Amino acid sequence: MTHDHIELSLEQSLDHCIKCNICTAACPVSAVTDLFPGPKYVGPQGQRFRMPGQPSPDESVDYCSGCRVCNEVCPTGVRVMELNTRAKAAIVEQNGLPLRAWLLGYQYWFGKLACGPLAPLANFGASNPLLRTVVERTVKIGRKAPLPKFSTYSFRSWFKQRTKSQASKTAAVPDGSQSTAPGSRKQVVYFHGCSTNYYEPHVGQAAVEVLERNGFEVIVAKQGCCGLPLLSNGAFKQARSHHEYNVEQLLPYAQRGIPIIGTSTSCTLTIKEEASELLGMHETAVRMVAENTYDIFEFLRLLHDRGELNTDFKPVQRSMPYHAPCQLRAHNLGRPALDILELVPGLQLSESTAACCGLAGTYGYKAEKYQIAMDVGAGLFDFVRASGSDTAVCDSEICRWQIAHGSGLEVKHPIEILREAYG
Amino acid sequence: MRDTIVIGAGLSGLMGALALADAGRRPLVLAKGQGAMQWAAGTIDVWGAANGSLRAALGELITTDPGHPYARAGAAGVEAAIDRFRALMESARYPYVGSLERNVLLPTALGALRPAAFFPATMAAGDMRLGGAAHAGPPLLLAGFHELRDFFPPMAAENLTGQGIPARGVYLTLPPIARRLDFNTRVFAQLFDDPAFREDVGRQLRAARGDATRIGLPAVLGLRDPLGAVAHLQALSGAQIFEIPTLPPSVPGMRLFTIFREAIVKAGGRLQIGAEVLRGEGADGALTAVYSAAAAREQTHRANLFLLATGGVAGGGVRTDHTGSTWETALGLPLQAPGGRGEWFAPRFLNEAGHPIYRAGIATNPQLQPLDAAGAVVYRNVAVSGAALAGSDPIRERCYSGMALATGWRAGQILSSEL
Repeated sequence: MTHDHIELSLEQSLDHCIKCNICTAACPVSAVTDLFPGPKYVGPQGQRFRMPGQPSPDESVDYCSGCRVCNEVCPTGVRVMELNTRAKAAIVEQNGLPLRAWLLGYQYWFGKLACGPLAPLANFGASNPLLRTVVERTVKIGRKAPLPKFSTYSFRSWFKQRTKSQASKTAAVPDGSQSTAPGSRKQVVYFHGCSTNYYEPHVGQAAVEVLERNGFEVIVAKQGCCGLPLLSNGAFKQARSHHEYNVEQLLPYAQRGIPIIGTSTSCTLTIKEEASELLGMHETAVRMVAENTYDIFEFLRLLHDRGELNTDFKPVQRSMPYHAPCQLRAHNLGRPALDILELVPGLQLSESTAACCGLAGTYGYKAEKYQIAMDVGAGLFDFVRASGSDTAVCDSEICRWQIAHGSGLEVKHPIEILREAYG
Repeated sequence: MRDTIVIGAGLSGLMGALALADAGRRPLVLAKGQGAMQWAAGTIDVWGAANGSLRAALGELITTDPGHPYARAGAAGVEAAIDRFRALMESARYPYVGSLERNVLLPTALGALRPAAFFPATMAAGDMRLGGAAHAGPPLLLAGFHELRDFFPPMAAENLTGQGIPARGVYLTLPPIARRLDFNTRVFAQLFDDPAFREDVGRQLRAARGDATRIGLPAVLGLRDPLGAVAHLQALSGAQIFEIPTLPPSVPGMRLFTIFREAIVKAGGRLQIGAEVLRGEGADGALTAVYSAAAAREQTHRANLFLLATGGVAGGGVRTDHTGSTWETALGLPLQAPGGRGEWFAPRFLNEAGHPIYRAGIATNPQLQPLDAAGAVVYRNVAVSGAALAGSDPIRERCYSGMALATGWRAGQILSSEL
């Protein structure tokens, strides 16, 4: 691995560890399993024994879920999660990428193949206990883990259709991109990510409608998977080409100062920080795209700060539990969804104090980690069930699936609630 | 979106946030991480040097040293802060006992005796001044587990015995549990939340107690209901149980943080942990915005009122480097600090009067507004509290937590009503 700037700063960050163990006390994974000794041990401590060209001294780092609670609570600023993810990548470099990591890392291919007319068949297969058992035995993907349902239409096909029906007014956007509400002075690029495209197009539909209610022309640029599933499975080389592709697609918009907005907190985090930090990509283009990318509620909150948010909300008389997912917390932005939704009359959201839902990207899909993920999330499942609501709210798709799986509640993206408030 | 910002989530910042929330504000608390609480014992140390009445000692301090942070809080302010703190803890079923009449002496994990003014009821039976004649009575029993690192009952007992307090230390057998490769204070606290685990420990304590009437255990007796856990263990063992603070991470600190967080959030406040404030921006003598570290770009927080409670040299609010520079980390406020490295330390390592660098901090006026070297207010809408304040060496004076509470409370009140 190259000795780039970030690796140096990571190494320096481990020297800030004062061994206070606050991270270990906050770690939701070591709280429920013996297999992960805790962030201090595999992070700053283990890092001292990791030498280039030497075998990994500590494979228990594989049990780090990457939730970043350690980063959040560390009083001295050690980047524990990044140390751990790099250590995982070193193991992959040493042993090669296992089939399962390949499948989870490239899961968007399943979306490409199964989303659309084949969705009912694919969903039947994905929910077939016998088939899931076979998959668990062969590639060790947990048979009970909450796989999302493929949508019968993709977000992009919906958007294309919608643009066509507004055909007479369609704006000409280069590079095969599409846009709506032409003629608006203000433009934004929507980064939908794989899950909105293949599983939850309704989230993207809500986002488009909310942005249009605020007077924006929405451009859906060409885009690929952000590469986070590859990154968290240690497939750094493969993740790099994904990030390069997205930067290339998004750069022209960033150069024109058009904000890039996402509803998936993990995709936006990857574009803003994770990919460049973990892969050591610090080119101007990468930075420019990162600095122009926003979580959708972060963006709406900035609008509100400038007095430009359309706050013509109808009352929504509901009380619902809300969970701020790990990937949103890693943006270090506080609770933008709560800040905006508290402007909606009648709406009451109560925030969970749970550290993590457990699933953490692709972690909880791994057969040997399924139960750990469920144990990590147990407190959160209790919290949402105790609310008495039939719906919970969470910004991140994977967490929504896990919370629904663990609690039985329906779980929505906050943008769906906001769209509802616009009537 | 929030017009009041507190920087720092230690005891002082959270007490300030509570005061602001009490006054109907909805403070946003920004903090780099979770620190101070879990580094400390969870006692309220008001003035450790006082042999007699703390109230009298504070009165004298305030008269003779008007630049001391306690003088900024004022005698009545100190008492009001403690009353509010105790009411909060009481309401969370985690009552604090003690008084400003005298310090008690509580044993540390090493068996040293540490003065404290207020302490959780779960530590109360550990007062080594209890019953004067106690020293002639049956020896204390200190108990722990081999699996809990950095807590050695035999060593602590020997140290107490050497100070004239007969004590005996034993290790208990870890009750059968499903799992655990590695143990820390949090893991033990979770185990003590389970009544079945306590049953087993209680039986062992009864067998080991001999004629001891008081038993000290590490301060890990539960996160959910520590008072109930202590009562349960007392009933099982037939002796009074008390908690002895451990090395970090401190379970009493975790309890405090949770209680504060819940109260502040319930009152409409918000905590944003992991958001280090990097700089501020002002105009016309007022602070208008602070910027915190975030992914890809800094986050801007605009507000009308700000409370700075980032701590001192130990807590990270004041930094120093090898060139002899000192600076305040969040807003770059002017510091009152010794000029160069040569002036940082007294010649003797264990100097009775401490070292000048540990008194470094932000000079303020009586309204806790930060002052520059010329004595002019830097930002009129900022109040400073806790160990970030100049004029005190809180660790040596054993007033870290008491001063944090008193000045945090006072700063919150000043911001909400006087500025």
